[in-house]
Amino acid sequence: MTFGKVIRILLAAAAMLLVAWSFFDVGVRTLRSVTGSDRSAETLLTVLHWGTPEEEAIVQAMIDAFKTENPDIDVLRIHAGDYDAKLKTMLAAGTPPDLFYLKPEDVPEFAETGMAMKLDAFIAAERAAGTGAWVDDFYPVLMNAFRWDSGRQITGATGASYGLPKDFTTAVMYVNLDLFERAGVEVPYDGWTWDEYRAAMKKIAALSPEDKPGERIWGGVIKHWPDALRSLVWTFGGSFFGGESNGDFRDVQLDSPESLACLELIRELRFEDQSVFNASGLAESDDDLFRRGRIGCLGPYGRWFTPRARQITDFKWDVVPVPHAADAEPASIYFTVSWAVSAQTKHPEAARKLLKSLCAREGQVRTAELGLAMPSMKSVAESDVFLEPGRDPQHTRIFLDAVGYGRLAQYPRLKEFNHILDRELKDVLILDKDKITVADAAANVEKLWLNELASPLHSKQYDKMPWGKVLGVTGVFVALGVGLLVYISRREKLGSLSRAEERTGWLFISPWIIGFLAFVIGPIITALLLALSKWSAMAPLGEARYVGLDNFTHMFGYDANYAQSLWVTVYFTILIVPIGQVGALLVALLMNVEVKGIGLFRTTYFVPSVVTGVALVTLWIVMYNNEQGVINAMISATGLPAPDWFGKDGPIFAIPAIVIMSLWGVGGGMVIYLAGLKNIPASLYEAARIDGAGPVRQFFSVTLPMLSPLIFFQLVMAIIGSFQVFTQAYVITSSTGGENPNLLVYVLNLYRHAFQFHNMGYASALAWVLFLVLIVLTSLIFKSSKSWVHYEGLKG
Amino acid sequence: MKRSTAYLVYIYGLLVLGAAVLMVPFFFLVSGSLKTDQELSDLSKLMPEEPQWQNYGEALDMMGFWPALANTTVITTLCVVFQVISSSMIGYGFARYRFRGRNALFAIMLATMMLPAQVTMIPVFLLFRSLGWIDSFLPLVVPALFGSPFFVFMFRQFFLQVPEELLEAARIDGASAWMIYWRLMLPLSMPVIAIVAIYTFMFTWNDFMAPLIYLNSPDNRTLALALNSFSGQYGVEHRNLLLAASFVTMLPCIVLFFAAQKYFVDTGATAGLKG
Repeated sequence: MTFGKVIRILLAAAAMLLVAWSFFDVGVRTLRSVTGSDRSAETLLTVLHWGTPEEEAIVQAMIDAFKTENPDIDVLRIHAGDYDAKLKTMLAAGTPPDLFYLKPEDVPEFAETGMAMKLDAFIAAERAAGTGAWVDDFYPVLMNAFRWDSGRQITGATGASYGLPKDFTTAVMYVNLDLFERAGVEVPYDGWTWDEYRAAMKKIAALSPEDKPGERIWGGVIKHWPDALRSLVWTFGGSFFGGESNGDFRDVQLDSPESLACLELIRELRFEDQSVFNASGLAESDDDLFRRGRIGCLGPYGRWFTPRARQITDFKWDVVPVPHAADAEPASIYFTVSWAVSAQTKHPEAARKLLKSLCAREGQVRTAELGLAMPSMKSVAESDVFLEPGRDPQHTRIFLDAVGYGRLAQYPRLKEFNHILDRELKDVLILDKDKITVADAAANVEKLWLNELASPLHSKQYDKMPWGKVLGVTGVFVALGVGLLVYISRREKLGSLSRAEERTGWLFISPWIIGFLAFVIGPIITALLLALSKWSAMAPLGEARYVGLDNFTHMFGYDANYAQSLWVTVYFTILIVPIGQVGALLVALLMNVEVKGIGLFRTTYFVPSVVTGVALVTLWIVMYNNEQGVINAMISATGLPAPDWFGKDGPIFAIPAIVIMSLWGVGGGMVIYLAGLKNIPASLYEAARIDGAGPVRQFFSVTLPMLSPLIFFQLVMAIIGSFQVFTQAYVITSSTGGENPNLLVYVLNLYRHAFQFHNMGYASALAWVLFLVLIVLTSLIFKSSKSWVHYEGLKG
Repeated sequence: MKRSTAYLVYIYGLLVLGAAVLMVPFFFLVSGSLKTDQELSDLSKLMPEEPQWQNYGEALDMMGFWPALANTTVITTLCVVFQVISSSMIGYGFARYRFRGRNALFAIMLATMMLPAQVTMIPVFLLFRSLGWIDSFLPLVVPALFGSPFFVFMFRQFFLQVPEELLEAARIDGASAWMIYWRLMLPLSMPVIAIVAIYTFMFTWNDFMAPLIYLNSPDNRTLALALNSFSGQYGVEHRNLLLAASFVTMLPCIVLFFAAQKYFVDTGATAGLKG
């Protein structure tokens, strides 16, 4: 027995054991739950949340404590990696979780659609019963972040309460004390102005060793995702909206002198002083640079960075307040999330009880110990539990001081604003300092935002979708379609064997027919009808409004991202389809040679295609790193200028970068071609050789024609797949933070409208346009295939 | 056939070069999984100072590895078996039987692939909910019984190429339609079965969206869901543990491929075809 055989037998045995054990394990668990040993309680509450494993443990501990006290209530905790998608599906299905995390920017939508329960009566009852101390322990301002005043359309003290803050953080700056000391800058524990900041940054940046450009030291990093930028604008005395006080979100204040001064300073620090690191694209992670001691001052940032900063051993660090303009007051935004109760809960009493338990002091204490956030209860935050004397950061107090000058952010109900803002400021803040002025960029934000608001989808009132009528009409169309299908089929002529053959054929394809009728056709028709509707996917389908063709009007006239998303997708398709297919075929040819050890090589080439998801992106962030990444190191070695893939050179290079990532997974496509190659009879090659054909000739006159059915198949699949590309763009965009218009592929735009912007109807319209484009493209390929695809079997 | 040394050197050169390029990210994956989180922030350090083997234990603990492994194995095994049988049957029907409406149905089947899943997701969810299948494995497994257009298409392309004489001979021997499919066509299509099995395995093993929306209980979690628990509200908190967990999670895919590649490169299975 060869060594290989032994290995294979061992692997097979291991696989069998794994499968057997798994079925046994799952079987036992299923039996246990069917017999009901852990479902004895009458009331079942569901809790939906997100978070790291440590945060999960905290929530679970709170629930366990609750269950011990309330044995008659069972709680199902659901943790969701993609929270938006999970919550939307549950809401749309009419099975909302009883308790869930609610972000401040979602409060207007949840309040207006009546999906979140008003908690005021509950709070009043707690106070009346003399047990309201815990509610009054929350920072009042944090409570206000989850109050929505429907009449004035603003967040704040006058509104009804829709959530209780689970935790929060203010904005601070993390500083490298060693660098401050070396530069001779006093650490500004008592606050500083932006002028002082600017001078300090210059001094720290001057510490860079001149002979080692790779070890450059930066004065600071300025974080500017929309909430952070808003916090910065406030420190200049500016604001995003006039509506911060009156609910008018048409009045964009980004072009006020104060706001412009803020934007201008960021630009100058980056491009003129060059003292502040510009984290463009998937460049060096600025968090990592800070941890390696190359950044003087990082922020505005929240408490969540503290656990990572605590792993620093090479230098001393601390936190200081965010600077403010000389003529303005200090300011900070509150980053916070709340526990909310569904308005549809079947057990309001139990749900409110659980809410109280989830907010219990014990959870607040554990949150503080974990270090990712600040406790939202004053008595815990202002105690040693949070302040942790002796532990870094030494001035934890500064987080609390910022509560004093913190401000609430007002969020418009339409969530598109942040995306427009992020995209339009990218040019001036990160990419190209000469292309556009700060004032023009700010004016563009306002223009595009007003255009968005002017869309009929957002400005017109619509009636409810007349589902009865609509379904009737759809039924007629489906009947007509089936009739047409039958009529056309009946006209086809069949040979003599036909009846029996026809019946057997139908039998063979019957699994698909059953699946199609049961699970496919309904959803597809629903998606089509939704394309004519406005539906937030938060209320059941019955709430959808009929908008006619307005979704398409919005698409072509008002969606600021539509043209861009179409272009990015076409660009990707043009590159990936030919390159991916030729690459897969070439690798398959190489894998087809019979040499010793080829099995191991095949596995090696295949392995990369099994890496997916977050891990894939974590890896490629490493690879594409501008400064330290392998890819740019290799490009530089050849003497070519290395691109800033997802940043400055993004319009050209972002998509090719995704193509390279996809090529790494070439093993997936290779497998199919390899099987095809193995399937070509050796006799054909022999015949060709006898005719005097060389290897190249053999490839073109034997290999290619014999592979043509496979190539055809792969081509169709590749085009469909490339138009639907989503995962890489989604994960890279979300892990680099902020907008990346160069990665905004069609389905990513669609996904956002469906799950983040509350526009499921519009998303369906987007899907149907994509569907039509693909139908046209595929039928063109099918038409052309008759001239180049070679089917041996049918010609016989 | 005797090969010259120069040819072998050339081929091995290419193979090793390609493998080296493809292994670079993989190297970072493995070395990253053995670093401390602080070390991971410095990319110029290729290797960990001291390999942190305990990362693996911590990662598996944190993600709740074992129940997730059992769940994923059950779902994946069922999907692979169902998918191979259903897709090959349907593909065979489309390829070798003439019936009225065949082309139209085939076109409809392909068309169903072209609608992005993101919009049918909620309607499909409504359907499964009305069947009471939420928080069970059924919505993840049952669809595999009805074939997938992608694999049906693949089987069809394969069966189209089988010479008619082979089927004719079997029919003359008195084999029934089912026998021809089960005893003759299915074994012939071993290379396609291997590919469909591997693709289905990889897809189901790594699928995130469907488990996300259909499974609720922590007990029912699959590996892909568990992996995702490493990213919290503020990004990935333990990158080193994430990399370790990813590595363990992808091992079965690698092993499966290594074991299965023999089947789709094995010319023996298809020898009869061109006889």
